[in-house]
Amino acid sequence: MRWLDSLAESSTRAVARHTSRRGFLGSLGALLLGGAGVLPLLPVARGAQPPGPGAGASPGAAKPDNSQDPTSCEYWRHCAIDGYLCGCCGGSQNTCPPGTEQSAVTWVGTCHNPADGRDYVVSYNDCCGKSTCGRCLCNRNERDTPLYAPFESNDYNWCSGSSKANIPYHCSTARIVAVAK
Amino acid sequence: MLRGLLVLVVLWSCGGRVAGAYEPRINYMLQCMGCHTPDGSGEPGRVPSVKETLVPFAGSPDGRRFLVQVPGAAQSTLSDAELAELLNWMIQNLSLTRSAGVPPFTAKEVASYRRTPLVAVQATRATLIRQLSGVSSQKP
Repeated sequence: MRWLDSLAESSTRAVARHTSRRGFLGSLGALLLGGAGVLPLLPVARGAQPPGPGAGASPGAAKPDNSQDPTSCEYWRHCAIDGYLCGCCGGSQNTCPPGTEQSAVTWVGTCHNPADGRDYVVSYNDCCGKSTCGRCLCNRNERDTPLYAPFESNDYNWCSGSSKANIPYHCSTARIVAVAK
Repeated sequence: MLRGLLVLVVLWSCGGRVAGAYEPRINYMLQCMGCHTPDGSGEPGRVPSVKETLVPFAGSPDGRRFLVQVPGAAQSTLSDAELAELLNWMIQNLSLTRSAGVPPFTAKEVASYRRTPLVAVQATRATLIRQLSGVSSQKP
């Protein structure tokens, strides 16, 4: 059995000469890290992720339709808005957030609703009484005129100079008033 | 001759409401309501009410001129015919007093006043209110 002892000794020494004790940990780490790129370690719903920039046919072609999302600037009622959306500030597109008050004087315009193909009269009443909301700033200004045509310009702060003089502007609502016909 | 007649017929048929234009109720919303509020009462100290003054003003020549020349009316994007229609709608629907006996505005009458700018708006209004009987004195 002496030959078996010498074989085991020589092969062990050969392994010890060609490898380090930390080499095993390094190889295992490389295997795990490298393998994560090839095989996922955890189950992931990759279908729920939005497609990457190179996934679509061409950039800008698959633009999402936000015309029915009230917290989006592209919401159809926001066609002439110039301000912060009350829907992002604790209120909604119809109501002021708590602690603010709706201005009586306002800017009125028409917006086209692509869902039913009709034009609506929309009133952009400002909510006043708290400092500027700062979320969801939208500035679309369809049919807005420059300040030298003042009666159809929306560049006014409807809060300042009101009966509650000089109270701060917080956000803007977009209320439907009527069907435009 | 036939071509001339055809043009005349086409022009005639355009004499009514312009295609795409709004009815006076909607024009009030788009041109006036933002400041004068839905019922015409305005905002005290900032925007004058039209409810008390529309019919007395429309009953006097100076008042009719003022209603057309007031900047929000004269400088609006409406045509003369649309502005006349809008003023008549306001007199019928927003005035506190009855409009019997007040002649309706026509596009021709509106055009005759509209091209002359009115500068001293508040002073003219205050003078009219003083002159016309039956209008309670109020702040502009």
